[in-house]
Amino acid sequence: MFEIEIFTKEGFKDSRGEHVLSKISEVEIKGITKVDYASVYIIDGDINKTEAKTIASELLSDKITEKFEISSNSDSKKSKSSVIEVLYKKGVTDTVSESVIKAIKDLGITKEVRVKTGHKYYLHGNISKTVLDKIAVKLLANTLVQEYKIK
Amino acid sequence: MKATTNCQTIEILSLSDKQLRELSTKNVLSLSLAEMKAVQDYFRKLKRNPTDVEIETIAQTWSEHCKHKTLTGIIDYTEEKGTKKTKRTYNNLLKETIFKATMELNKKWCLSVFKDNAGIIEFDAKNGVAFKVETHNHPSALEPYGGSATGIGGVIRDILGVGLGAKPLANTDVFCFGNPHTKDSQVPEGMRHPKTILKGVVSGVRDYGNKMGIPTVNGAVYFDEGYMANPLVYCGTMGIIPKSKINKKVNSGDLILVVGGRTGRDGIHGATFSSIQLDQECDVNAVQIGNPIVEKKVLDTMLKARDLNLYRAVTDCGAGGLSSAIGELGEKTGALVYLDRVPLKYDGLVPWEIWISEAQERMVFAVHPKNKKRIVALFNKENVEAVFVGKFTKDKKLTLKYDSDVVASIDMFFLHYGIPKPIRPAVYKIKEENVQKPIKMNSASLLKVLKDVLADLNVCSKEWIIRQYDHEVQGQTIVKPLQCNSIEGSGPGDAAVIFPYTVAKGTKKGIVLSNGLNPQYGKINTYKMAANAVEESLRNAVAVGANIEKMSVLDNFCWGNPNNPKILGSLVRAANACYDMSKAFNIPFISGKDSLHNEYCIGTKKYSIPPVLLISAMGVIENVVHTVTMPLKNGGNKIFVLGITRNELGGSVLAKIKNVKGGVVPEVYPKESKEIMERIYKAINSGLVQSCHDCSDGGLVVAISEMAFAGDKGVKIDIDVIKTKGELSVAEILFSESNGRFVVEVNPENEFKFKGIFKDCIFAEVGCVTEDKNVVFESVKNKIKVKEKSKNLLNAWRNTITW
Repeated sequence: MFEIEIFTKEGFKDSRGEHVLSKISEVEIKGITKVDYASVYIIDGDINKTEAKTIASELLSDKITEKFEISSNSDSKKSKSSVIEVLYKKGVTDTVSESVIKAIKDLGITKEVRVKTGHKYYLHGNISKTVLDKIAVKLLANTLVQEYKIK
Repeated sequence: MKATTNCQTIEILSLSDKQLRELSTKNVLSLSLAEMKAVQDYFRKLKRNPTDVEIETIAQTWSEHCKHKTLTGIIDYTEEKGTKKTKRTYNNLLKETIFKATMELNKKWCLSVFKDNAGIIEFDAKNGVAFKVETHNHPSALEPYGGSATGIGGVIRDILGVGLGAKPLANTDVFCFGNPHTKDSQVPEGMRHPKTILKGVVSGVRDYGNKMGIPTVNGAVYFDEGYMANPLVYCGTMGIIPKSKINKKVNSGDLILVVGGRTGRDGIHGATFSSIQLDQECDVNAVQIGNPIVEKKVLDTMLKARDLNLYRAVTDCGAGGLSSAIGELGEKTGALVYLDRVPLKYDGLVPWEIWISEAQERMVFAVHPKNKKRIVALFNKENVEAVFVGKFTKDKKLTLKYDSDVVASIDMFFLHYGIPKPIRPAVYKIKEENVQKPIKMNSASLLKVLKDVLADLNVCSKEWIIRQYDHEVQGQTIVKPLQCNSIEGSGPGDAAVIFPYTVAKGTKKGIVLSNGLNPQYGKINTYKMAANAVEESLRNAVAVGANIEKMSVLDNFCWGNPNNPKILGSLVRAANACYDMSKAFNIPFISGKDSLHNEYCIGTKKYSIPPVLLISAMGVIENVVHTVTMPLKNGGNKIFVLGITRNELGGSVLAKIKNVKGGVVPEVYPKESKEIMERIYKAINSGLVQSCHDCSDGGLVVAISEMAFAGDKGVKIDIDVIKTKGELSVAEILFSESNGRFVVEVNPENEFKFKGIFKDCIFAEVGCVTEDKNVVFESVKNKIKVKEKSKNLLNAWRNTITW
């Protein structure tokens, strides 16, 4: 299983991140200085790292404005910032994943894959778990259809 | 009938009344006791218990959403005026008011009314235009993005499913939200902040509409505390259809084809759910997720199939899913469906879930067996899944099979007509409205109030929302939602005009779309609210050049709990206003929809929303060259106010801002208004009008200011010459929201002809356009002079919603 994250490259505007930061300030939460946004694609199936790389570079990211990171489930990543990850709950229609599965086939990778899509928000600053929960529930995830994890 | 592992028999024959009620609640059937008993009686006659598939099918078909049982049910209505009581019984409110007016008007150019997925009027010799507006309130309250996206997706499918399918040309959207400036701490526990809901809803409509390649051209946003926990989301679509494709026919032996999205657990119980009030805990499955890419492919391919005559009938899967769609198409014939043939998103769905799932982007077709291969080949070529799931029979029964077991067998007649009619009491107390104490203000406070009114949430610029929508795609939007003369200006257009030249080749005609709503009036008087909405929608259309003789309207009621006699009474009043206005303006209703039970709990207390009637208007314009916009055009031109200003400040923006007690809600005077509307059409068509704007929320002063700052011009207005009924103070003249008024700019060389057209009407020349960019309202008599740069007024109007 590979987790592919797509970030905005340095020097380009991370509008999703900025948007979340402005939403956070609107609900009167202080202490957060910056938010980085990454879209997340979890790809499950019998593919290898090279194929995952092809998918990330050719399909999921824009080479000019975006960069990607691939981690497999064995990697454990350390991050200096707090991370809120939002994914659809099981059984909720994930239309983006349907398109990704189709596009992976179009890339010539014929192996069966399952895809989950989601969002990661890297929050910089001094933030307590309670505040992170509040941000996740109020602004980032609709817990009716999505679940979130704080890392 | 066989109970399989996937299908259970539900014990109903032996149940007591109490147990029937419990069963309805436990299985989210939303059926009343009388309805449950009708089901019990039916199965007693059959001497067997129903399966879960059967009982779910009945619940879906009989849901408020599908059958509109309140509006078509029996209502015992009592009206109180002072000490006088009048009683009337309605056997079917809809048929005795709105529908009745349409029948009585009997317009030849109404091609299909109140029977299909949308209303259709004539466009030209070859084509008709279809219009439908839907609500998607409950799903949007739970998941604003998904709810509004599937709202617009659903109404687009209504247009695809009208007749043999119309091509969508434009979308409209109208929302009601709580105050977005509410402090986070004041939002009740478990509820989303109104601003979060707003942003989610707007992005949902944006993403779905834009991706479908359909412009969103007209709409409105209304803010009121009452919609905090229960937002209202109206989505509309207008499309064009060849006249030869308006009728559908299902023959016995036709095959049932399901096209588009796969079926999953999405939106199970959506239809029955819409009959329940919102609680903090809701069924997860009621949430639907939209996929515009699939729908776009369905749209493009099905119109090809339509033109090749590959099918005889089509309808969309909306509320109730396959159950409603196939149930409707097969009402006269009967149908046999193999549920195991329906393509699924994932395994594990039991038969009843497949049958009632509200998974999106699905259409159902009736196909003659000879076209079997061709139609599937056509859809598959475009990567659209199309699967035959059964056929229309002649036994007038609905039969469902799963793995060769019969899991349901119900008579179509019982399914569609077996529902007992509820009897509901309704009362309405007509309150007397009195003119408020005279409102006196000096020049400085008038200016301040003007700016406050312009900045008010319900008047201010909605540019932040409008600009997210593509209102230009397809290249046929002639009159656009935001209008201005210069790059820095901006002003609110009255209505949109679509010029469908790519479909109706060589045409000069256009289609005008507009709307009218004002919940504030409804808090005082729902009859007047409804009447105002009708007139406002017409006025908006007329202001851009529509012909009042070729207009039609749609009604959309969003009301509270109809089990409360007072709430139902206010609905009866509004429906009566629709009848009266339809007759008086000679304007037919062609389609409509209602969403009742808009009620929510905070703690243990129940609240109903302030009722809203949205009227959406559609009309055909003979020549799109003869349309006008609202920005002022040239210095030296004269400004006329058509119509009379009365002391009508009840429910007005001024009353809200200044907390004015009392006041009369604007009355509609159809004879007066219609006369003016007809003549404006004449004037615009004779090329005598430079700009025109309707006068509504905020009154004359707002309308004139908007025209000035949109045009980046100044105006000089003499308040003393404005025609009024009785003696009004300056503030009352400027801010009264009387109906039937327009502000019109006329070139001096056309003045004589213009005045000739309006001979015998009430109107006045009130001032002129100036190039100095100062907006001046002056009353020498009252020693009042309100003066401000138009740019400053623009900023006041523009800076409320800038996120």
